[in-house]
Amino acid sequence: MHKYTLARPLVLTLALALAACGSDPEPPVEQIVVREPGAPVAAPSEAATSDGAAADPAAAGKAAFAACAACHSIEPGGASGVGPNLAGVVGRKAGTLAGFAYSDAMKGSGITWSEAELDAFIANPAAKVPGTSMAAGAVSDEAKRAAIIAYLTGITG
Amino acid sequence: MVSFTINGKPTTVEADSATPILWVIREKLGMTGTKFGCGIAQCGACTVHLDGQPIRSCSTPVSEAEGKAITTIEGIAGPDGELSRIQQAWISEQVPQCGYCQSGQIMAATALLRDNPRPTDEQIDAAMSGNICRCGTYVRIRRAIKVAAGIEPTSTEEAA
Amino acid sequence: MDNADNPKPQRSRAAKWTRRGFIGAGVLTGGALLIGVGVRPGNPVGKLGPIVANGEGEQLINSWLKIDANNVATAIVPHCEMGQGAHSALAQMLADELDADWSMVRVMQAPADGNYIVTDTARLFVAPGTVDAPDWLEPTWNGLFTNIGRLADAMITGGSSSVRSTGQHTMRIAGAAARHMLVAAAAKSWGVPASEITTANSMLSHAASGKSAPYAEFAAAAAEQDMPQTPPLKQPKAYRLMGTDAPRLDIPSKVDGSASFGIDAVVPDQQLSYAAVRRVPVPGTRVTSMKAEQAEGMPGVLQILNMGDFIAVVADGYWQAQQALNLITAEYSEPESTIRTSDDQYARFTAALDEAGDDGGDKAASNGDAVEAFGSAATKVEVEYRAPYLAHSPLEPMNATVWVRDGKCDVWTSTQVPLMARTAAAKATGLSTDDVTIHHPLLGGGFGRRLETDYVTMAARIGAATGYPVKMIWSREEDTQKGLFRCADISRFKGGLDQNGKLVAYNNVFTQRHDPPGSFDCAFYDIPNKSIRVAEAELLLPFASLRSVDHGQQGFFIESFIDEAAGAAGKDPVEFRLGMLGQSPRHKAVLEKVAAMADWGNTPEGHGKGVALVESFGTIVAEVVEVDMTSGSPRLVTVWCAADPGFAVNPDGFRNQMEGGIVYGLTAALYGEISLKDGAVEQSNFHDYKMLRMNECPAIAVEIINGDHVTLGGAGEPGLPPVAPALANAIFAATGKRLREMPFAKQFA
Repeated sequence: MHKYTLARPLVLTLALALAACGSDPEPPVEQIVVREPGAPVAAPSEAATSDGAAADPAAAGKAAFAACAACHSIEPGGASGVGPNLAGVVGRKAGTLAGFAYSDAMKGSGITWSEAELDAFIANPAAKVPGTSMAAGAVSDEAKRAAIIAYLTGITG
Repeated sequence: MVSFTINGKPTTVEADSATPILWVIREKLGMTGTKFGCGIAQCGACTVHLDGQPIRSCSTPVSEAEGKAITTIEGIAGPDGELSRIQQAWISEQVPQCGYCQSGQIMAATALLRDNPRPTDEQIDAAMSGNICRCGTYVRIRRAIKVAAGIEPTSTEEAA
Repeated sequence: MDNADNPKPQRSRAAKWTRRGFIGAGVLTGGALLIGVGVRPGNPVGKLGPIVANGEGEQLINSWLKIDANNVATAIVPHCEMGQGAHSALAQMLADELDADWSMVRVMQAPADGNYIVTDTARLFVAPGTVDAPDWLEPTWNGLFTNIGRLADAMITGGSSSVRSTGQHTMRIAGAAARHMLVAAAAKSWGVPASEITTANSMLSHAASGKSAPYAEFAAAAAEQDMPQTPPLKQPKAYRLMGTDAPRLDIPSKVDGSASFGIDAVVPDQQLSYAAVRRVPVPGTRVTSMKAEQAEGMPGVLQILNMGDFIAVVADGYWQAQQALNLITAEYSEPESTIRTSDDQYARFTAALDEAGDDGGDKAASNGDAVEAFGSAATKVEVEYRAPYLAHSPLEPMNATVWVRDGKCDVWTSTQVPLMARTAAAKATGLSTDDVTIHHPLLGGGFGRRLETDYVTMAARIGAATGYPVKMIWSREEDTQKGLFRCADISRFKGGLDQNGKLVAYNNVFTQRHDPPGSFDCAFYDIPNKSIRVAEAELLLPFASLRSVDHGQQGFFIESFIDEAAGAAGKDPVEFRLGMLGQSPRHKAVLEKVAAMADWGNTPEGHGKGVALVESFGTIVAEVVEVDMTSGSPRLVTVWCAADPGFAVNPDGFRNQMEGGIVYGLTAALYGEISLKDGAVEQSNFHDYKMLRMNECPAIAVEIINGDHVTLGGAGEPGLPPVAPALANAIFAATGKRLREMPFAKQFA
């Protein structure tokens, strides 16, 4: 004797729909209002923009690297993300960080990362290493590339 | 302030220079054909052309666009509004399902066929594998690229 | 499905409803209440017209159809469009019965309004297998479901049901009724008998008098006619559009960037603000403290909200909101569950299965005596399979735009359940549902994730706190880690074969049973002694239906086991299955078809071919996968798919759905795994929650068998379940390595 029971989702939904009657909305536990939409930006916020940080070279490097940080960790010994960990990348042979799945193109590139090689790569990744899986990250601004590379050089892993 | 052309139109926007091009296009310029999928250049839904090169607009700061030309899905039809060969092939092969990734797919395919009018399967793979289609329309995308390129599809690529 | 009462179970009782509603008296009774639910003939025009037919020159004919002055017929479709092609397929069904010119047909999303609940889908969801009613009770029964449907906000797109429920039972009848009304109006005006008027290509003609007119000319007069409750429907040989590859209506907008998805919402004449959100990492915990000073100083930030179960930053732009959110640190309460890792989760399953033993747990299905038959079997197969949690990952991340003001709330969102979204927003804002308006455009993928309304609730709570329009967008990381999931599970089998290699004992126990009913069974196989049981176990992550729901894991479990049984019997996998299909001719035909397509029996050196057969959502699908193992890890070569959906309303659309289901299933088979660490999801984005890509996608060949013109099956989900077991079976054929755990790729790393 085969016996199937009622499908559950709608029964549950019905219960929820009935339970919904008379329940209260859940307001915020904390609500921090910085400003209203359309209101002028307060002064302290200006300092936090990446443009504002450009005066200090170290800060400029850190700010410029923000675009890279979604994929690349720079914490010495930290795990790789979408891209390999870049702590100590200057002087490293390309495609050799343990545990990261490099493209064949990168593994076979024969590059050892000098400042000049990094500069060429970041300027146009696909041209420098055709077949690289680094689909994003081209930085056309020379000063910005220099800042990023200076920043990476300072992190020795 | 960043200045560029978008689909041929000179444009200046006020935006934090680190803001990805994607959000400038969508929120500041109100052009929503370019999509947000992953934010880390993994899915390709945000693909636009920057000076003709396909880029991931979710991971490219708007400062990179200074003085350059951005082309989006809204800008690849002909001046008279006639759809491009690739767009037409996407219709004839009934490619899209949900359609969310297709702007990015079409931008990637457009760059591919411009640089390589008769790509091999391997070249199609190389150009298109950065674009995820969660609905799984890859076999039709491949077929549409071949139709647009005037290449005979292989037997399993033909609509049965 | 009761084998004892019905020795030839060819279709489920779910399908029986469809049949009952479609043929003969079923339409007379069942159909009557389906047209313009709750709206009397003639009335929808006055009541619904201002809502759905307020354009220049538009005339509403009935709830589901309007015709404009240019003779454009617009089908008003209550299901959502998420890539499955429902909008076009339903319009195609209506247009066929209407005798409309396809080039003059458009489709419109029905509003989130109680008049557009999908009664028949509600029936499929609530009572797919257990309830049967005599014909005389049918009207009452349908009325009951209409009421239940309203209570339960049953405007649902799911269960691969749009075509086989609303299409068959509502859109066709609406089209046929409208055609009848147009003819009646023309007959009156021309002074000729209605029976002499013919219709084709959106035109009315009277041959004897030479009169002819476009539908538009009589649209207004037609709306005044009595609406027939039981219009005769076409027989298959009279179909003009059904069964053809009518081009989908939504595709042009999806190639030029103009298609609008939930995430593309604009609030007319209002400036939008944007919210990024971070939910608690472990389900059920709370934010106990939040440090947001750094975030407060970030550019563009408007508000920072600690909502208890999530943190939100509202800013001028989404990216600014997300950047600021990244700087906020928080502490969380201790979770109630002690499940911290995937191993913990599997240990719960194992404990429940151990406790159930050979005969414990809830009986899901049984016939004969499986325990006894196993004991006396000549050959025994004892195996265990497991499947992990999965995230849906539609490419459009969860999002909703909300504007709460002056006792009103508007919500723009991609949803499979617009009325449930309305209820969720009402509950979150303390408003009545009448004060909430849902705007639901195209979906950038649903896959079951958008059957849930958690994200609507979150956006509504943010909107209620700010009082101005806010678009909340989840990051991909949030979408991967903090949502609802396809459940993990372990399934155990004890199979017994007799001396002739016939499968005589089938004893199966697993822990997760959600939906649809019967998905744990392979009732089409003739197996004399069967026991299928559920031993319930705690899940850490919340459950949501994922494309093909339980069939996803059950297809892998069952069809891997059947393959192992074939091996134990020393038989070819196709021959072994055919030997159990003596009472299931349609399944047999499908399996034979796919074997022929795949040139079964011939395989290149180093390659393997594997087969699987699953019936789900009313459609029978067999697939053969060819895999190349010469490099030591699987490379997909070709997938052949034969499917019998009864009747494919749009064959090309059906094939597209099979292709999509196969790719979705291959992603799950090779890569799909959501794992747990410290009670939280480990994966975060597409680099560690991998999707199949173009370079890995096999060639796919699909053939359709129209095996039953009356009983229709679904399209969106049935392509998925057979592909994982077919791949596992192919890898076994090539290498002798039996994969009993999903996903597969990491087992070859």
